[in-house]
Amino acid sequence: MVRIGVFICHCGKNIARTVDCAKVAEAASQWPGVEYAVDYKYMCSDPGQNLIKDAIKQHNLTGIVISACSPKMHEATFRKAAKSAGINPFLCECANIREHCSWVHDNMDVATPKAIDIIHMMVEKVRYNHPLDPIKVPVTKRALVVGGGISGIQAALDIADGGCEVIMVERAPSIGGHMSQLSETFPTLDCSQCILTPKMTAVKQHPNIKLMTYSEVDEVRGFVGNFTVKIRRKARYVIENMCIGCADCIAACVFKKPKFPDEFNEGLGLRKPVYIPFPQAVPQVACIDPNTCLQLTTGKCKMTCAAACPKECIDFKMVDTFEEVQVGAIILATGYKLFDPKRIPNYGYGKFDNVYTSLEIERMVSASGPTEGQVLLKNGQNPKSVAIIHCVGSRDTKTNAWCSKVCCMYSLKLAHLIKHSTGAEIFNFYIDIRTPGKSYEEFYDKVLEDNVNFIRGRAAKVVDWDLQPLEDGKLVVHAEDTLMGRRRRIPVDMVILSVGMEPQSDAGKLSHIANCSVSSEGWFLERHPKLAPVHTMTDGVYIAGACQGPKDIPECVAQASATAAQALILFSSDELTREPTIAKVDEMNCIGCFLCEKVCPFSAIEHHEIKDRNGNVIRVVSRVNEGLCQGCGPCAAICPSNCISIAGITEEQVYAQIGAV
Amino acid sequence: MNINDKSPAGEVATMAEVSEVVKKLRERAKELLASGAVKMIIGYGDGYSKGKTVPIFITKPEDADRLIFDARCQNSLSMYLKTAEIKAKGKIGIVVKGCDARAINVLLLENQVKRENLHILGMVCEGVGDPTQDKCGWCMANTPPVYDDLFGEPIPNKGWNEETFAEVLKLEAMSPAELWKFWTEQFDKCIKCYACRQACPICTCTRCITDKNQPQWVPTSPHSEGNYHWNLTRAFHLAGRCVGCNACHNACPMDIPLKLINWKLIKVVYDDYNFIAGMDSATLPPMETYKVGEETDFIK
Repeated sequence: MVRIGVFICHCGKNIARTVDCAKVAEAASQWPGVEYAVDYKYMCSDPGQNLIKDAIKQHNLTGIVISACSPKMHEATFRKAAKSAGINPFLCECANIREHCSWVHDNMDVATPKAIDIIHMMVEKVRYNHPLDPIKVPVTKRALVVGGGISGIQAALDIADGGCEVIMVERAPSIGGHMSQLSETFPTLDCSQCILTPKMTAVKQHPNIKLMTYSEVDEVRGFVGNFTVKIRRKARYVIENMCIGCADCIAACVFKKPKFPDEFNEGLGLRKPVYIPFPQAVPQVACIDPNTCLQLTTGKCKMTCAAACPKECIDFKMVDTFEEVQVGAIILATGYKLFDPKRIPNYGYGKFDNVYTSLEIERMVSASGPTEGQVLLKNGQNPKSVAIIHCVGSRDTKTNAWCSKVCCMYSLKLAHLIKHSTGAEIFNFYIDIRTPGKSYEEFYDKVLEDNVNFIRGRAAKVVDWDLQPLEDGKLVVHAEDTLMGRRRRIPVDMVILSVGMEPQSDAGKLSHIANCSVSSEGWFLERHPKLAPVHTMTDGVYIAGACQGPKDIPECVAQASATAAQALILFSSDELTREPTIAKVDEMNCIGCFLCEKVCPFSAIEHHEIKDRNGNVIRVVSRVNEGLCQGCGPCAAICPSNCISIAGITEEQVYAQIGAV
Repeated sequence: MNINDKSPAGEVATMAEVSEVVKKLRERAKELLASGAVKMIIGYGDGYSKGKTVPIFITKPEDADRLIFDARCQNSLSMYLKTAEIKAKGKIGIVVKGCDARAINVLLLENQVKRENLHILGMVCEGVGDPTQDKCGWCMANTPPVYDDLFGEPIPNKGWNEETFAEVLKLEAMSPAELWKFWTEQFDKCIKCYACRQACPICTCTRCITDKNQPQWVPTSPHSEGNYHWNLTRAFHLAGRCVGCNACHNACPMDIPLKLINWKLIKVVYDDYNFIAGMDSATLPPMETYKVGEETDFIK
């Protein structure tokens, strides 16, 4: 015998203004099975909740309908109240008469009968509600960190120091990311390598961290606390755990001199097909580039590198291998890519010799770079004048609309470094100088005192034809000086393009693999821009660093530590509690067509064999993995014989709801 | 005494009368049964009255001579594959036309039969049934798309055009009111015998949705509402799966033109998704796939 209680909330005047709540309560009390119906000013207030609790006890209710705001708002509140009054929380349902009724109507004669219908539907549904118990799933206390830049490194170290295992996957042969390429870091001008290298080594040496370089994530299955990740270990042609980094193979390579552009030095230096990316690389293991190695491209090489290897760890037959790992949380820290300045042809990048990107200059300025810290023109001389063009591929609706946030600061830093090393005259072409951040404005002030020129105006173009003897043999930057209100032509020896940040081109692919989303620009999308900036829509998947949007190093580190905290919160308990509103298969009637498997977005459908007593398989039917299922329902919709139902929204309940109107 | 002997048309055909193709079919069937490669062969045999055939289930090599194949063999034998009795037999042989082979592809895709449990004896078919009815004008598989042995010279597919869908286009030209009248008249004839469901090779559910009475989504009584419910539910369950074999149409004792509903759906699936059901057993039908970035004009 069902005994249903109906509680109608006025929500102050929010509902009562357009719905006659007393009349609704009167109508509800007439329906069969409704034991008690009452209206009250604020059901979510303490007295309101007590009213519900008392009614449950006094009338021995078997189900309650709270007619109030959206269940998104207060379902949890009322279910908690129901639980504390001694009934199963899933016997409590919310009928939304605010967003769905009072707010969208202004006529009480229309809204009141509609509210009655909405509540009646929910009463008919509650009639068929069953007590449900939360599902408990175990947690694998191991995190996967995708990306070995500063964000990934920080997140991995924090989690590992917190006592949990970490697997770090990096697609390049070494960890370090963009930060390892930088010279000095603003605003304190400490050497990037000097502060990063200890952290890179710490990753390698940490007993809780397993490092997988030259690897990529191929597939992610599972759910929060229980992910299975398939990792592709790309063939490096050097057996990683045997190589001692002696570099004998590099010396012995049939290419006597380095011949191919070196990625680490942004193509300013050269390397051989067999190489160690940079002196501080972690791990210190050689790698063979399959696109340039003679043996791997033509199969006709004397293989002097293999002969020279004292550990015999060069293996040209190596192929990509796959490894499956179990993790409980995933942190995406895949960083950014630089804007390609060839997309703005009027700046002449790739056309003129002495037009460089800012990262190329970072390598030049770096003491370990290809010029050993010297800023040089193509002819080997120091420039006497340098133009730095800001906002290349940023704040421009033709390319990228966003501000890349770090360019102003690094341009100021490069201006300062070049001024001090070469004494050259420096012209900054800027739209606005943006220096919000601790000690950033002070750094700007310092650079202003360095006698650096600032010209307010986006540079229009860089050309190499001269109109006057002064411009002979120089690059001429055309710009409108908006402070002077004049067009200007500035002849310089070198042009530096302050290129902006862009999302990684394969961020979309990774977002599909990890089941999270990217914004229309391609940055990973956080759950809430203010209150959940490191969460994604998928539980257990977090984002750190510049993959979420342009950031400088301190912000990346802070966000990385925040993701580590999230992972450690997850790992602090042995079990997770999940909502029991999931799909269930009627195995008696399932014909095993597995259409449900094809439409399930969470890979929650498993093949279950029904066996006779001798162990012979009679039938194969579909079964729902309780941990994976999110209760979304496409399986129930596609099942041709209606064998799948969702707990809490069963067919009987839907049918009863339809019947009520 | 063979029961077939009572009917003049039902006599076991002698070797002299049968075509070369059927001779080859019988020889192969004999081999398969004699070697034990298959437990049983499902094929067409002569019926009890002139112009009709019956399905025959032969297990002995000597019975292979009862197999026939000609324009009378219009029923789909693939429908037997969904029955528990046949599934329990293990590996069997089956004589199929192109449309039946397409139905087998659908069954393979939906895990209803195992390929290793089938030996498919594919017949090249130039069209079956009453030639005046043009049953097979829209055939897309004169040569079966899947087979182990093929009998006859392969015929390339004709392809589809406006003419193929002439009867559907006639329906599409009707106003909603005319359509409502037309189908109400047709469905009012329905007696809910479910022969359409039983004859269909891909209606595979063991518990049909119409047999589910908790809750009873589809009314079982043969009144207008219930008839609409049943006939449209059946059609929608076949969207993107129906191979157009017309088994339901031929099975209907009340002459409801069921093929028109099926072909309307086949046309929609073909026009919107360029998909033809059962041409292979790997391509997922459009209703069972979702591609990110898929363009739709019904989700705004």
